[in-house]
Amino acid sequence: MMQGSISNRIRTLRFMNGEMSQAELGQRIGLTRQTIAAIEAGKYSPSLEAAFRIAQVFNVPLGEVFQWEVKATPLKAS
Amino acid sequence: MSYREKIAWLSLIAMAVAYGPYFMFVGRGPGPWEPLPHLHPLGLFALVSIVRMLVLGAGYLYLRLGSPRQERQPLDERDRAIEHRSLSAAYYVLIGGMILVGCFMPFSSTGWTIVNAAIFWIVAAEVIHYSVVVASYRVQASS
Repeated sequence: MMQGSISNRIRTLRFMNGEMSQAELGQRIGLTRQTIAAIEAGKYSPSLEAAFRIAQVFNVPLGEVFQWEVKATPLKAS
Repeated sequence: MSYREKIAWLSLIAMAVAYGPYFMFVGRGPGPWEPLPHLHPLGLFALVSIVRMLVLGAGYLYLRLGSPRQERQPLDERDRAIEHRSLSAAYYVLIGGMILVGCFMPFSSTGWTIVNAAIFWIVAAEVIHYSVVVASYRVQASS
């Protein structure tokens, strides 16, 4: 299976949108401040719906908020 | 610490305060009240449940007065995921305990020992439920 992790730019996007607070972002998409903090820290992966909502708040495509970073795995000798 | 994590801690504390001494008392072995339908242990269990309700009530009041309104939001998707995970874990503990109590204990025990074993597994399932909630919030805490 392909190994990887999800990273995000929510902190940067909040800064670029008038230093929007985690609480305000959470309020706009129906999540708690703690959940936004957990998403930002990469400790909770949001549902696809929540991810789209976050992107919609910042008016950017989903790919600009969340990125899939593939981990380099050594090739097996055949 | 989120409001829901505080509630989970409160529930764990209330159970430890109430059921800890209860199971220490009944765990000493069968007493003279062992044969059913002796009602002495039922009174003790009622007292313990009242203590639990009082601790929970006082704790809820304290947390409600001490937490800002915005902290007491409805469950969001992460809260529901944590709740689902914790209830799944508690279910397996409860079903395992009930199989033990219902299918095996009648061959080796009687009366209040079986009743208290059933209560023990219900409490154990509740402890697992709230412990998984606390652990999940701790693991996902950002700082």
